[in-house]
Amino acid sequence: MPAGHGLRSRTRDLFARPFRKKGYIPLTTYLRTYRIGDYVDIKVNGAVHKGMPHKFYHGRTGSVWNVTKRAIGVEINKQVGNRIIRKRIHVRVEHVQPSRCNEEFRQRKLANDKLKAEAKARGEVISTKRQPQGPKPGFMVEGATLETVTPIPYDVVNDLKGGY
Amino acid sequence: AFIKAQKAKPYFKRFQVKYKRRREGKTDYRARIRLINQDKNKYNTPKYRFVVRFSNKDIVAQITSASIAGDMVLAAAYSHELPRYGLEVGLTNYAAAYCTGLLLARRVLKMLEMDEEYQGNLESLGEDYSVEPADSRRPFRALLDVGLVRTTTGNRVFGALKGALDGGLDIPHSDKRFAGFSKDNKQLDAEVHRKYIFGGHVASYMRTLMEDEPEKYQSHFSEYIKRGIGPDNLEEVYKKIHAAILADPTAKKTEKEPPKQHKRFNLKKLTYDERKTKLIERLNALNSAASVDEDGDEDDE
Repeated sequence: MPAGHGLRSRTRDLFARPFRKKGYIPLTTYLRTYRIGDYVDIKVNGAVHKGMPHKFYHGRTGSVWNVTKRAIGVEINKQVGNRIIRKRIHVRVEHVQPSRCNEEFRQRKLANDKLKAEAKARGEVISTKRQPQGPKPGFMVEGATLETVTPIPYDVVNDLKGGY
Repeated sequence: AFIKAQKAKPYFKRFQVKYKRRREGKTDYRARIRLINQDKNKYNTPKYRFVVRFSNKDIVAQITSASIAGDMVLAAAYSHELPRYGLEVGLTNYAAAYCTGLLLARRVLKMLEMDEEYQGNLESLGEDYSVEPADSRRPFRALLDVGLVRTTTGNRVFGALKGALDGGLDIPHSDKRFAGFSKDNKQLDAEVHRKYIFGGHVASYMRTLMEDEPEKYQSHFSEYIKRGIGPDNLEEVYKKIHAAILADPTAKKTEKEPPKQHKRFNLKKLTYDERKTKLIERLNALNSAASVDEDGDEDDE
């Protein structure tokens, strides 16, 4: 009979718990709070059967649009044919991790705000834009010795080993 | 005879250890998950647990809330504080558990300045009493956390629970497991429960021993006799202690001297920076020793 295409088909390894991490899941997952607008990663925890997303969403990152008693509503982009649809799914908190995708941005925002405030106190105008890495500066090559490499003349007797 | 080793290297390589507190046999994670899990749409609202634990000589009652860094204890009461209120013996019995629960409840309410509104159960102890919500604030809610204790009828954790309830905390419960609940009747006998709260079961045992085996009575209850507590005035003793607890439940900080420095028998572990500087010094010393023999410098990297 042909292979089925059920909800959890082809998820034998995807939803499996990692080696030596089976059993109770650490309590931090239950203690985290999520607010609307946070970015979260979806990573299915095979030990918890309720509130599992479809395997497509495993490894996707989306933003929170709803918070309910035990689950989070996440908005994920999915390409369907020639367009990208914004899909809204509800996932239990065990299958969700806070995403670090905008952590660097948030930290940079805080640091820039501080820099701007300090510059304003001094009365200067500064630019906090990131600059791309420019070309490397020039340098003199030091301590180089010249070694001339010339081809050696072809020696028939030596090169034909045992085949002559 | 040669016996082949049963647990070989692959066994240990594949062995998954249980959580540390499970290995120590101290935490029931199944229960803990269910006690701590807070509704996500309540965000950072803490969910308080009324934790009761018994050791051989002490009773610990705490109001705790969970956080990722660790559990935060809001207030705690120990039965070794009861001597301050006048109870020096029998610190782990049902009556002492009741006193500890009562002390914790009044302490928490006083800390949160709710003790005027929620006076708790002042008379008719023994009956099932639940706090009535007052007009201004809702009562302090906590969930009973028994730990790994087998919850049988008449267990001392329920004595502590009754103490906390009578103190004015809102803890969801049923009277099925209080001492004095009869399974046949499906009813709580308030008189029996009241007897247990005031140490009536201890008093009746004292009376039986005094009649049948006076020497055992002398040896078993020697501390009680030393303080002049007999089966007749046991109830009054507990009544006085309840009154003392209701009067002043604030915790008193004990004076402790700073811990003395012990002699170190092993080397102290170095920090990452200390190890790096040590390495650089060693390399420098090596290079300076080497450059005495050789010409030319070598880099430290």
